[in-house]
Amino acid sequence: MAGWRELVRTPAGRFVAVYALILTVGFTILALRPVNDSVVNRYTTFVAHEARLALSLLGEDATVQGQILSTPRFSVAIYNGCNGLEAILVFVCGVLAFPAAVKRKLIGVAIGFLAIQAFNLVRIVALFYTGVYKPEWFGASHVLVWQSLVIVFAVSLWVLWVQRYARS
Amino acid sequence: MPAPDRKRFWRRLPWALAGSVVLWLVIRPAYNTVLTSTAQGLCRLFERPPVTQVACDGEAAIIGRSDMRADSGRLRYSLTQIHFNLIPALALALAVPGWTRRQGWQRLASMLLLLAISHVLSLFWHVQFFFATGLGEWSAANYGPVAREVLGGLRYFFDIAVTFTLPLLLWVGFFHERVFALLGVEREG
Repeated sequence: MAGWRELVRTPAGRFVAVYALILTVGFTILALRPVNDSVVNRYTTFVAHEARLALSLLGEDATVQGQILSTPRFSVAIYNGCNGLEAILVFVCGVLAFPAAVKRKLIGVAIGFLAIQAFNLVRIVALFYTGVYKPEWFGASHVLVWQSLVIVFAVSLWVLWVQRYARS
Repeated sequence: MPAPDRKRFWRRLPWALAGSVVLWLVIRPAYNTVLTSTAQGLCRLFERPPVTQVACDGEAAIIGRSDMRADSGRLRYSLTQIHFNLIPALALALAVPGWTRRQGWQRLASMLLLLAISHVLSLFWHVQFFFATGLGEWSAANYGPVAREVLGGLRYFFDIAVTFTLPLLLWVGFFHERVFALLGVEREG
């Protein structure tokens, strides 16, 4: 208990409290049905189209129906949790909760959003080819490898932002 | 934290991630068994008579009720989806240079205990949501629309929000001196 009392008096404690609060608000907003239907689903469809474009550039005959990305060789459905929004929220809330100038926060949010989007695109394309060539590895790769990597990527990006940009 | 320690963090992170995956793969079978039996125990705490069944089948939980026919509703749910966040949380902790200082092992154990509690709660809400929505007429007769919405919300919150955000929250919370030194803000307060 003494450790927790000590923690709440530190910048780290304040960060954790504000971060948890912003995250709770952010995830609650995303969970609301109107937001889910009009924002999250559209965003997920957009991610599916991004992945279709990337696969087309790699020579695949890819199509999108709703949030399902298909080729004659393999299909993947992109659900909530696979669209990168959670990692983006982890990063963005971390940036918003950390004391820094508003301009630096806005730049951090914009660059982080694009970087996580790009990372998630790599993830979807990699998972697609895992499904094509090693379908028995798809489940483990999806949850175990890529979800862990996405979290570590978002946290690493936040650490980089604080080290290099938030305080310079 | 001096710049060389920051570089050490980035050098250690991939190795810590690989080590965490190996450790997770080793403990996963035993952890799955403990997780399902603990979640079953938690569900049964609130039941008279106790009927919830949460069995471990490889990397999945089989959720059902003993007061229903064996061929009626059963849910198979991936336990990996619930506890994969042990990997990034452990990797982040182990990557911090000097994490063992100032009761580091005790902090690590506390962090893992909180993660484990979140996993039990996550499975608990999956079970409750399945009972509320997945058992046809029985669900409709025993759960109202508000209960279903609340349970759906709790399931979502633990499935997505808690799973994805706890690693960073716990990492900063339990290793705050080292993490904030890593960020370059150790002398403020």
